[in-house]
Amino acid sequence: MGAGTHNEEVRKPKTEHGGVKRHLVAFIGSLVLTALAFIAVGFEAVPQGFVAPFIVALAFVQALFQLFVWMHMDQKGHEFARISIFAGLFFILAAIIVFVYWVWV
Amino acid sequence: MATHHANAVLPDEPEKATLEGKNKILGFWLFLGGETVLFGSLFATFIALRDQANGGPTAQELFDMPIVAWSTFILLTSSMTSVMAVLALHKKNLKQLQAWMTVTVLLGLAFLCLEIYEFNHYVHLGHTIASSAFGSAFYTLVGFHGGHVAFGIAWITTLILQSLKKGLTVVTAPKFYVAALYWHFIDVVWVFIFTVVYLMGMIGGKVG
Repeated sequence: MGAGTHNEEVRKPKTEHGGVKRHLVAFIGSLVLTALAFIAVGFEAVPQGFVAPFIVALAFVQALFQLFVWMHMDQKGHEFARISIFAGLFFILAAIIVFVYWVWV
Repeated sequence: MATHHANAVLPDEPEKATLEGKNKILGFWLFLGGETVLFGSLFATFIALRDQANGGPTAQELFDMPIVAWSTFILLTSSMTSVMAVLALHKKNLKQLQAWMTVTVLLGLAFLCLEIYEFNHYVHLGHTIASSAFGSAFYTLVGFHGGHVAFGIAWITTLILQSLKKGLTVVTAPKFYVAALYWHFIDVVWVFIFTVVYLMGMIGGKVG
């Protein structure tokens, strides 16, 4: 489409943010965490009352994995991103506690 | 740096090369913070109402593990392909960027088709948005997420089309970067949906 012309003179970036490897590790990590959660429920591999807290913990680990690696929240200059997401999380936790233990008891 | 001759040599990390690009990313994180709260309130509502099936089918009777597993796998993979797109962006390789973004969009479409099939199936089983509080909370939360996926598909598709014409510049790079952030965020939300809505629904019983 004639757009590719100026992209041929590719310069090497100074940093590659750890490259593909780090992201692949996050992907495989996410797959494993997901599989663990499904196995815990599908095969009743974890003691009954413990399943829900277990899979919720797995979800949080996976979410942090993706936020910090894939969305680069671990990098410099992402203080604002951290504030946004953690402030959001704070309100969510408040909402869940209020809704579950107070509004619809 | 090369703000004025963007077409000559693209600076490193072109998405952050201009103040406008930087501000776009900053503002987008603020938006994601707001989205977090929005989905959080839908989750809170769902968790509070998920046992109120009003005599209709319960979560335990409805949910089917293979479909959820496939949806999860598809969306997780699409998040990975959008990471590959951002890596291509940092290599300033437009062709690769477009290719990975196209794969992302196709996976998003597959996810959406599966969700439409699933909702249709539930409606035939008598689980509708009006049938119970559980139904209302379920379709609002999961449907809102599906709506985000649909919007993301349309957004990224138009970005790909635009890049065919305009190429990769300090103007188009931030758009791709921000769209990738959005797509990751959708996947992060799905992690909680498959855990809280589907898996915890399959376990059954009251939690909390």
